Order: sequence, then C-alpha cells, then structure tokens
Amino acid sequence: MSDFKALSEAVNKGDTKTALVEAQKALDAGSSAEEILNKGLITAMNEVGDKFSKGLLFVPQMLRAAKTMQECTKLLQPFFQEGDVTSKGRVLIGTVKGDLHDIGKNLVSMMLEGAGFTITDMGVDVSPEKFVDKTREVKPDIIALSALLSTTMPAMAQTIEALQKAGLRDKAKVMIGGAPVTEKYAQQINADSYAPDAGSAVNKAKALLGIS
Amino acid sequence: MKSPEVPTFRPRLKVLNREQTLAIHNAALEILEKIGLKMEHPGALGILVDAGCNVNDQDWVRIPAKLVEDSLSSAPKQIDLYDQQGNKTMPLINGNYFYGTGSDATFTVDVETGERRRSTLKDAANFARLVDGLENIDFAMSMSNPVDAPIEDIYVHVFAEMVKNTNKPIVFIADSGKDIAKIYQIACQVVGGEEALQKKPFILNYSEAISPLRFPENVMERLIFCAEKRMPICLPSGSNAGGGAPVTIAGAMALGIAENLAGLVVHQLVGKGSPFLFGPNVSTLDMKSTIVSYGCPEWSLTQAALADMRDELYGLPIWAYAGASDAKVMDAQAGAEAMFSIITAMLSRANLIHDVGFLEYGSTSSLEMVTMANELIAMSRFFTDGITVNEKTLALEAIERVATGAPGSIFLMDDHTFEHFMEAQFLPKFLDRSRYDSWEESGSFDLYKRCNSEAKRILSEHQVEPKPTEVLKGIEQILHPH
Repeated sequence: MSDFKALSEAVNKGDTKTALVEAQKALDAGSSAEEILNKGLITAMNEVGDKFSKGLLFVPQMLRAAKTMQECTKLLQPFFQEGDVTSKGRVLIGTVKGDLHDIGKNLVSMMLEGAGFTITDMGVDVSPEKFVDKTREVKPDIIALSALLSTTMPAMAQTIEALQKAGLRDKAKVMIGGAPVTEKYAQQINADSYAPDAGSAVNKAKALLGIS
Repeated sequence: MKSPEVPTFRPRLKVLNREQTLAIHNAALEILEKIGLKMEHPGALGILVDAGCNVNDQDWVRIPAKLVEDSLSSAPKQIDLYDQQGNKTMPLINGNYFYGTGSDATFTVDVETGERRRSTLKDAANFARLVDGLENIDFAMSMSNPVDAPIEDIYVHVFAEMVKNTNKPIVFIADSGKDIAKIYQIACQVVGGEEALQKKPFILNYSEAISPLRFPENVMERLIFCAEKRMPICLPSGSNAGGGAPVTIAGAMALGIAENLAGLVVHQLVGKGSPFLFGPNVSTLDMKSTIVSYGCPEWSLTQAALADMRDELYGLPIWAYAGASDAKVMDAQAGAEAMFSIITAMLSRANLIHDVGFLEYGSTSSLEMVTMANELIAMSRFFTDGITVNEKTLALEAIERVATGAPGSIFLMDDHTFEHFMEAQFLPKFLDRSRYDSWEESGSFDLYKRCNSEAKRILSEHQVEPKPTEVLKGIEQILHPH
C-alpha cells in the first residue's frame, strides 16, 4: 500500500496541483478515499499544524496547505463509501450580532477545516435566533462564536442563553474567541471553551470532542 | 560687529518622492471609482447618490475622483484643539506634532502588583490623571475598556472619567449615534455649551471603517454627527498589510487612503468645512501570530509616507501612532519599539500621534510605558530641534577664555557653561546615567521600576484642577438620568 509520502509532501508545501495528481494516482492504485483522506491528507495537515504551532510555518503557508487539502477532499468526495468517517466533527461558526469583523473568524474556519472538521460558516452579525435555527438544522458538534468588539461580547452570552432556552445548549459544545475575550469571560457566560488564537482553536475543538 | 542669524535646520524624514505619492493617490482614486465600496448607512448612501455616485447591489457605491478632489479642497487645513480651559494647546497644522495615549485596552498592567488584569473605570481615571501630569503627553485617550462599566454606555462612562481626571484635550471612542450624543452633552457641560464647544473644541472622535471597503451604519452615524456638529473626527480603517489590506505596503496604503477619502467625501457633503483629521492605520498583520503589530517598522514607514503625501498633495493634518510595543512586559523590546515609532513619527512630523503606552499589540495599557515615553519624546524632541548655530552657541569667547586662561581654567567653571547648560543639553530624568556605585546604592532599579515609582508619585501627588460642582452634577445627570 502507498505511504502517501508524495501526497503528504505536496500538502505540506501547499502545492495543490501536485497534490491533486498524487491523490488521483492513489485512487488509481486502489487506495480507498477514506484511507487517502485519513492517512494522507489529515496526517499531512497534522504535521502542518505542528510546524505552525512551533513557529516553523507562516500563516499564508499554513492556509495554502489547508486549501490544498480541501481541493483534494473535493476530488475524493464521489469515492467515499457509506459509513466512511470523513469528518472530525461538525462546527457551526459565526461572528455574533452587531459585529461585522470576520478576519479572525475566517482564519479559525480555515484552520478547523484543514484539521478535518466540517464547517458551516454563518458569516458576520449573526443573531442568537439565527444561531438557534441553524443549530437545529445542521446539528453541530461545536458552535463557535467570534467577537472583536467589547460592545458586542454580550451577544455571545445572549446566543448561549438563546441556545439554552431552545433546549439546544446540551446538544453542542460552545467555544468563543476574539480580541476582548478571556478564559474568565468564557466561564462567566457558560461557554465550554475559549481559544486565544486560530491555532489553538483547533486544539481546543479537538479537546472538546475528545479526539486527537 | 554682529554676525548674521543662521537659520536652524530641523531634521526631517522623507520616505517618498513625488512620483510615489501621486501613484499611491491615483491608486486610491481608482479604488473608489472602479472598485467601489459598501456603504451600509442609507442616509450616507443617499447623500452620495445625490452627489452623483453610482450604486449597484443596493449599497455598493462608486465615487468619482471629482468628488474626492472637492472634499479635499473644502476640508480645513488646520484643526485647532483646545484644552478644557480654553487654551489652544494643539494647533494641528504643518509640522506640529502632539503625542497622546491610546484607547480601549482590554488589559492593564496593575501599577501596584505588576499583574496584567482586565482594565477598569478606575484605570481610565488613572491614565487621564497621569497624562495630565506629564509635560510631553498632550492629549488623553481612555487606555481602558473597563470591565466594570455598563456595556451599553461604556464609552460615556469612560469619557466622564477622563473629563474628571484631566483638563487636556481628549480623543474619544463611541459606539453609535446614540452614545456620541451623550458624550457631546458632557463635553458641552464642561465648556459651558454647544457654541463654546464648537468655537474651542477639546474633543476629537476616533472612528473606524472596516477594511476592505466596508462602512457600517453605526460608524457612519458617528461621522455624520461630527460633520453636523463640526466636531473634529478621524476615520482610519484597519487597512493592515496582510489583514484588512494587501500584504504589500503600497497597496495597503492605497486602500487605507481610499477608505479615508470615502469617509471624507461623505463628511464634507454633510458638513462642508467641518474638521477631518486624515490618515489610515497601516500596520502589518504578523504572519505567525496574526496580531496587528504595534512595534513593527512598517507602521512607522507608512505614516512617514502619509506625512509626505500630506506635504505633497493633501495638506490636511494627519493621524498617527507611536510609543507602543508588541512586548508583553516593559522590557528592552518595549523600549526599542516605543522609541523607534516615537522618533520616526516626530521626524516625519505626524500631527496627532496616539497609542503611547501600549504593550501587547495594543491589548494592554501600562502607566509605566506612558511615563517612559514621556522621556523618550523629550529625547526625540531634543534631536529634532536640531543644532542652533550662532555667536552664543559657537562660544568662541568661552573657548578663548579657557584655552588661554589661567592654569586650571576649565569649561565646567566658565560662566558660559553655567548660563547655557540647561538648554544646551538634554537632561534625562529617568534614563539612568548615574555611576555604578550610586545606582547600586539607590536600589539597582531598572527603568521599569523607576517609571513605576514616578507613575505612582504622579497619581498620588499631581493635582488636576477640579471641575466646578455644577459641571460634575451635570455629568452625573447625563450618566444617571432621573
């Protein structure tokens, strides 16, 4: 069986063209899509994540690697079998009501997606009601709330309250992040986790779901 | 015979030539005319349409260059800020420069424990009081996003604390058209009415559009309020290279300037001739941590470039930053980064220079940093004032006296030294030049400890001239109606 070394290298380098060729080669050689995803792509992205957290990679390099992985996953999509585990978990993410900033949230989305999570991105200025409705619809494992402004931080608490009232709070873990957010604030508003930056968001998300 | 007066050259930094300034300006015009922007305030959008702008997709608007040129020529070339007692302390024009603190730090380094903790209203008061007591800090910003203020009126409470604790000009933040009106009321209370405030404004509003090219409704409410009330405002966007803007400095500047010009167009259409402080914040997004850097050379470079564009093209006073750091504590990095931006901002003659005293890329405020910066500004000013060359400073008579005088003649004993040493030399207060033994004897304190003691001393000893009781009552009424 293939060790997916060339594929892994291409993902590490963010070389989308070569990665797609290598993924196709692996399919042609008889590897299953699930195997290529887990042993090739996700393993490579774990390496990328490691290097990034050690300061050996810069953000644009890491994002390019994540994009390469996404392109390869698209290629594999038609070949997944029923019952294949193709996602680490479902994440519903958005910037809370009243806040229009999205660079941080987009970065977290890309990182989580690169780490194998399935993302539903609701954009910016998302009301508690919309979070509730979407939670019913996509049944996320994690709901991730972002805010840049201290004036919009209370909307995080309101969103969690709305989930509580709708009886959905126990159905998903809630993690929060953004410049004014602290660990203490996360505890105060009954969030499950807080991530100070995009890199640690991945680790926190994994920890919340008990996966590595 | 008296020798003719020799003019003094004052060192001035220049980083762009005319061709470069024109190319960046033209790129900014092209962004507005060809790409356009998202204007989410219906009123502002209507104003732009009436002025001849095209709109697509509801709120995507393109602004012709002619409108930009009109607004550049109607905006005042000078903005005078006054202190709260009516003295013109900050004439923002030409090469005048003024330093002040920054706004909204989430954390503060506790002056007693040294611990980084959430900032409070008391911190906003302390920073204002410190600014009041430091001779080289010209205006106050809050330095605190207080955890203990009611969030819906957070900026009103912060403003009230500042007014109570300093008489210097204030640069303030607001959330929307609602709280800015309350802050305006407080400011009117302080100077005795709307007319007095318009005649001698001591406040300037700091608002931000969102890069790239997004103008939210609440931001435009503030802009329109200020334009109507003729209250000075600046509207920098966060066009940070690699974050809100392209990673290359020229493109980030072009985008930030385009955003500023768009704000200026709306502003001048609403209140022709109202004061608008020009300038984007063009720092850089760190490619490892994704923080917006407050210690990078890029930000100093872009504001030096903006000063050149002011001199070549715009003629409007400009907004800038200095005296801040990405360091988490006031260490050697903090000193190096603070000094880098302080002296380059001065050498490029940026006009209103904020953010003095920030650590941790603007997330933490430090009284000690402000105190240190006060001295770094003095040091930079000494350098920027250049070398006065005249009969007195050439001092040929003193040279002759000492060289040809009685044995034992030394300059230290000469009258010329006694008469001139105070202004001839930079006399540091906290930068330590003591001999080793006396430094050790006095406790081996480093600069952080010395600045900590000085900040504490100012907080306990400095008297801020108090506001009259009726003014304080009026403020209380606005904070807590009924």
